[in-house]
Amino acid sequence: QGVTKWRMQALWGGGTTPMRYEEDFCARVAELTGGAFEITPFSGGQIVPSAQAFDAVRGGAFEMMKTFDGYTAGKIPAHGFSSTVPFGFPEADQYEAWFYERDGLALARESYAPAGLTYIAPTVYGEEPIHSRVAIRKIADMDGLKGRFVGLASAVMARFGVSVSPLPTSEVYSALDKGLIDIADRGDIKANYEEGLHEVAPFLILPGVHQPTTATSYVANTRAYEALDDQKKAALAVAAREISGRLRQNIIVSNGEYLAKFEEAGVEILTLDPEDVAEARGRAVEFWAEAATDDLSRRMMDSQVALMKDLRLL
Amino acid sequence: MTTLARLITALNRGLFGIAKWLVYAIVLLMLWEVVSRYFLAHPTSWAPELATLIFGPFFLLGGPYLLHLGGHVAVDLLSARATGGLAILLHLVGLALAAAFGLILLWFSLPLVAQSISYGETSYSAWNPVVWPAKAFLPLCAGLLVLQAAADAVFAVKGADAT
Amino acid sequence: MIESSLVLLFMFTALVAFMLSGAGLAFVLGAIAFISTILLWGPSALIVAVLNTFETMTSESLMAIPLYVLMAAILEKSGIIEALYEAMETWFSRLNGGLAVGTIAICTILAAMTGVVGAAVAAMGILALPSMLARGYHPPLALGAICAGGTLGILIPPSVVTIVYAITAQMSIGQMFAAGIVPGLILAASYSAYVLIRTAINPALAPKPSDVATLPLGVKLAKLKSLTLPAFVVLGVLGSIYAGLATPTEAAAVGVLGAALSALVTRKLTLPMLSEAAGDTLRVTAMILWITIGARAFVSVFAATGGADSLLGFVEGLETSRWVVLGAMVLVLVFLGLFLDEIGIILLCVPVFLPIVKALGFDPLWFGVLFMITAQMAYITPPFGYTLFYLKGVLPPGLGIGQVYRGIVPFFLIQLAVLLLFVVFPGIVTWLPETLLPSLK
Ligand code: NA
Ligand code: NA
Repeated sequence: QGVTKWRMQALWGGGTTPMRYEEDFCARVAELTGGAFEITPFSGGQIVPSAQAFDAVRGGAFEMMKTFDGYTAGKIPAHGFSSTVPFGFPEADQYEAWFYERDGLALARESYAPAGLTYIAPTVYGEEPIHSRVAIRKIADMDGLKGRFVGLASAVMARFGVSVSPLPTSEVYSALDKGLIDIADRGDIKANYEEGLHEVAPFLILPGVHQPTTATSYVANTRAYEALDDQKKAALAVAAREISGRLRQNIIVSNGEYLAKFEEAGVEILTLDPEDVAEARGRAVEFWAEAATDDLSRRMMDSQVALMKDLRLL
Repeated sequence: MTTLARLITALNRGLFGIAKWLVYAIVLLMLWEVVSRYFLAHPTSWAPELATLIFGPFFLLGGPYLLHLGGHVAVDLLSARATGGLAILLHLVGLALAAAFGLILLWFSLPLVAQSISYGETSYSAWNPVVWPAKAFLPLCAGLLVLQAAADAVFAVKGADAT
Repeated sequence: MIESSLVLLFMFTALVAFMLSGAGLAFVLGAIAFISTILLWGPSALIVAVLNTFETMTSESLMAIPLYVLMAAILEKSGIIEALYEAMETWFSRLNGGLAVGTIAICTILAAMTGVVGAAVAAMGILALPSMLARGYHPPLALGAICAGGTLGILIPPSVVTIVYAITAQMSIGQMFAAGIVPGLILAASYSAYVLIRTAINPALAPKPSDVATLPLGVKLAKLKSLTLPAFVVLGVLGSIYAGLATPTEAAAVGVLGAALSALVTRKLTLPMLSEAAGDTLRVTAMILWITIGARAFVSVFAATGGADSLLGFVEGLETSRWVVLGAMVLVLVFLGLFLDEIGIILLCVPVFLPIVKALGFDPLWFGVLFMITAQMAYITPPFGYTLFYLKGVLPPGLGIGQVYRGIVPFFLIQLAVLLLFVVFPGIVTWLPETLLPSLK
């Protein structure tokens, strides 16, 4: 049998750390199949804008994507829960456990199947920080501030009193700089340091309650996926699970290094009280329910809430 | 034939005349956002997003009539020197490319718009509007572009003009 | 590798051939993208053009284009720009090529208001070109000044291209912005110096008005009043950005408001005027955005089929002096700039080039500025130079694109010279960002 060649577009910019892990993913798949399965990685936006990759893979323009389910949560409400949940699981391991030890993976597959897409596996990692021009020591301090959040977080943070402006990512730096907004989310700790947010926001708030944990997803065109032999399918699953752990650990270590850099640059790092966060989580459940507008998203939410109760998070 | 071509041109001219006013809607929405964020300290969740939803239909609707006006930029180094049959032929080549462009956009955007409607796709922002009305302007305007290319081909072959 | 070279050759040849047919550029780009997709990628990938278009349709930064064009159209139709030009003429009449220098100065101000090249070039094409032509300026000189001046917005912050570069290169946007200021001003000064010298040697290129020298000082001072309204508009735009009132796109809407208020002052604010301004705006915006649809389709196919792989692979494989590698990278950027748009070039090249730049011990910030200058060159070089097409869209009858092509040659050479200057003296580029933001070094 000949070599199977796929294209995969990821959601990361070229040359970034997570993009290097996507290149590793492709290399690992080739290695596990003895070179019989070659996936060419493309960075986000190189072929289509990241938010449009869903339809590109569906239409067969390329066979596979690394996506963020939040992009398609407007089409498939369940994707709000399989990507990131504001005030959701505080630890990446808990969120990944929901995928692998509960029915997260099965529900994610169910969400993609009608579109002719096959969910392969998530990559799960931790928080993204909140950058602020004012000191925030408890959740209630956010009430009345002007903020930039996206997706479900924009609705939920609005319920906690933030006046949310839907600014594009590229405007975050200058919007904080000029005081257009008081608080903002953008990317992870390292990416935000490289973006220079320490130059424009004197406070960094942890945990990033709007996005405490994140899952990105490997998703393939079902027709292309079904044409693979079992070894190649297994290689995808194995490589995906490896990358999830490796990227998460890389982020844990670099978070430490880059928080030190933020402090060196004079940024004050403020940590919210876990009890305050837990109390807010209890209130957030009601806002999640508003986003769970169909049967599948309700089942997904219920399944996460059940695990959170078992873990005494709720 | 010529009558139909003139009807198509009139339709696109009319749409152009309506669409051009949308730019003032965009201006007012952006100004309202500035006022509500800075002076009322309470940004709207909808004004900037509504502006971006208007932006696509605005420039797309301008395209078909612009084709008739010859307003799409071209490199006319050689074609400007062509005369008679060759000039008409080059003009027809240009119209064929425009029609092919419109047909492909139409063919591939229609199912995506249908899918957006069937999903009830929203933007998943704090405002969270349905997005298919904006998306629907792509197949609409691509179709209008194809029609205008055909109409201009009729004018070119028959030597008639649009009025 | 051979396959990749063939893709490159095919797409480039087809682009030139189709363009010479005189068909609309938007449709030429789209058609080649579609043919290449079917031949090299598979028909199902045609969907990519539609998906890119959906994104273009909701782009917050591209939305600045109609707003800045509308602002310019209202200012022009209310006679404010004409008055500004007259004042400039009165005061700079002793200066050879005073209007062209003034055009570059206004372009520099526009550059500080927006990074959208299309808006600046289209606006100056509407505002400055008729004034210069009416006064007997040599068309290529006038056109070249507008094209080159219009691209200053890439380097002078705020700039969309700089933001995309900084994000792709994982660098601080603030630092990249700071790094662009001095080089941008140097370019503007070089363009002005060129105009002054050229018209000093050959005054026929830019005739001086004969009646101005005799004007008494009182009249000359009175003409300064015409500066008030434009200054008010510029202050409104810049002020709203720097005071934290507005994003750059929202500031463009503030500019439209300022222009409308100015028109009110000159008693030109009428419904027919607003209707005409809206019509001009839609024509220019539709032209630029439909080209963008074609161009995005073209760049996607080019990237997905590996069209740039052979060039990038060649640079990666070079084992020679670091200056030769740097030169090769700049040449690749200039070459790709002949027929790709700069966002596409950033997505293709920055991830490959930046690790090389760092490995060779060059400053990535400095390389970023070199990159932005090659992006400016890309904007004005045929066959695919955005400014040429934007300007062509607003050319008065009788002026062909050939005149535009001739006009840009000297300005392209100036860009090249300035690029070399920064290569030899990197301190010019790095001094300001390191002074402003020392914590980062
Ligand atoms: Na700029
Ligand atoms: Na070019």
